[in-house]
Amino acid sequence: MIVNANVRMGDIELRTPLLTGSGTFGYGSEFEDLTDYSALGGIVTKSLSFEPRAGNPPPRICETSSGGIINSIGLANVGIEEFLGSKVNELPLDKTEVFLSVVGDSVEDFTKVVERLEDVERIAGYELNVSCPNVKRGGLSLGGDREAVTAIVREVRALTKRFISVKLTPHYTLIAPVAQAAVDAGADALTLINTLVGMEINAETRKPLLGNITGGYSGPPLKPVALAKVWQAAQVVDVPIWASGGIVNGIDAIEFLLTGATALQVGSVLFADPKAPTRILNEMIQYCERHNVDSFTDLIGGLRT
Amino acid sequence: MVNKIKMSIIEKGIITDIKQISGDIWDMTVAASQIARNSKPGQFVHVKVNNGFKPFLRRPLSIGPVNGDTLRLIFLVKGGGTQILAKKNVGEEIDMIGPLGSAFRMPKKDEFPIFMAGGIGIVPLLFLDDCLTNDIQRLFLLGLRSRSFSTVSDDELNKRSIYVSSDDGSIGFKGNVIELLTEQLDNNKLINPIIYSCGPGIMLAKLKEFCEMRQIPAYVSLEVPMGCGVGACQSCAVPKADGDGYYLVCQDGPVFDASLVNLNHGELP
Ligand SMILES: Cc1cc2nc3c(=O)[nH]c(=O)nc-3n(C[C@H](O)[C@H](O)[C@H](O)COP(=O)(O)O)c2cc1C
Ligand code: FES
Repeated sequence: MIVNANVRMGDIELRTPLLTGSGTFGYGSEFEDLTDYSALGGIVTKSLSFEPRAGNPPPRICETSSGGIINSIGLANVGIEEFLGSKVNELPLDKTEVFLSVVGDSVEDFTKVVERLEDVERIAGYELNVSCPNVKRGGLSLGGDREAVTAIVREVRALTKRFISVKLTPHYTLIAPVAQAAVDAGADALTLINTLVGMEINAETRKPLLGNITGGYSGPPLKPVALAKVWQAAQVVDVPIWASGGIVNGIDAIEFLLTGATALQVGSVLFADPKAPTRILNEMIQYCERHNVDSFTDLIGGLRT
Repeated sequence: MVNKIKMSIIEKGIITDIKQISGDIWDMTVAASQIARNSKPGQFVHVKVNNGFKPFLRRPLSIGPVNGDTLRLIFLVKGGGTQILAKKNVGEEIDMIGPLGSAFRMPKKDEFPIFMAGGIGIVPLLFLDDCLTNDIQRLFLLGLRSRSFSTVSDDELNKRSIYVSSDDGSIGFKGNVIELLTEQLDNNKLINPIIYSCGPGIMLAKLKEFCEMRQIPAYVSLEVPMGCGVGACQSCAVPKADGDGYYLVCQDGPVFDASLVNLNHGELP
């Protein structure tokens, strides 16, 4: 049995529904010796801001007793100037679709970056990160505000014809109104979810494990939260949803398709297993064979409630 | 595309030997021909200690002496991950990514290499020691808390003529390894010394101060928590000495010219 792995989103066709999560796959070339790009439908690059950002004081990553990890990178990135000067040449444009993640502290920050990125050819689209827990002024606080999300998406929409996904935080009381606002403002897709705010301490030394004290919690423990947010958003919007949160195997990925996602981001799992995309894809295909399903698309939203 | 000189490999090695050196120190030999044959002293492997995702992250471990297709990993059990490693048996597989990061630069002809290890920090220096030809004179120092915390066997100490210091005087010189270094430098009137070091943050910070005072070049190998190990996630930051941002230990290091990094009074990540 041949399982059709393609998924379609508007004008874009991904050869598989698997994408890399922003911040876990750099600019797409760091893992090139290790990861087979043919299992990926695309990559999402590290969030890029207008000015370079040095990031938070170390330590920046720790494990938690509950199984996931917490990072406090602080959106360390080279900034638009250096990106266009050097990193842009490292994008794996010949190997897979490339979505550029953009972050900012204000509406203007987002538009200034996207304006410059419009000149980069062969980019499939953007992911607007309005949800990072690791920067004080922007990110979460900005994304927590429905008006701000509307303003960012509307202004970026006015600048580009490219595909736009808007990445939301799980920290809203209700996700549906913000999801709806982003779509009304012109989003072509939603990425759900960014990390949860978390922290971990060492009781023996009475010290936090991260230099920034709190950070973004990711990995397997995030999956139930992400499933719930994807489900809730899928009830109200009809744009494709890119699921992000705790996917480590093919069954996790299938669960998100059933819940209503169209594409699936693998993030933290890449640190443990750089070959995760190939493994996850194979496990998804095995599931389809067991269930006599001949296309991933047929599973989207197939949850029986 | 950008020219890449470094090549990382994911390889399942086979454990060919594992033994306990002292209380919490284990010495493991792994057959992994591709990684072993491409490794240089100072580089590390990113080790998956278990199948599945408990623990979630890999553990970066310095590459110890390489012998043909095998490499030695000597590690301290300090948490759940290394505990799992210590329980492995000969014949079991071990999933590693490597060789990663930068290597020590070799001493020049007129330089006198001094290896200065603190505890488990001896691992990359054993490999470096093996890479210098026999005609090159060197001085190898190891600082321990006490004899019962030794990180290498007595055999290896003798074979490599390693001078040991211990805080409690239970083995070798009584005192810390910086005091031992000072004594050796002054007594032997060494010309053009260059120091290669790896060990606890506090020791490296003191060494950096000492070397700056005496104007001795020093290379330090740093160990910090890591995510990807390949420069993609920005987890492994260490502050630059000039205050202008951070280096990535997995990519710019783990070996650094000590004058370029801020060791933050030993409070390494
Ligand atoms: C080290 C690290 C860095 C991250 N950086 C970003 C980032 O720059 N922008 C962003 O939108 N999300 C970032 N994320 C969030 C991931 O893209 C992903 O949404 C989240 O980790 C949940 O998915 P996972 O459980 O599969 O990792 C980062 C996550 C990690 C672990
Ligand atoms: S561990 Fe990911 S960049 Fe160094």
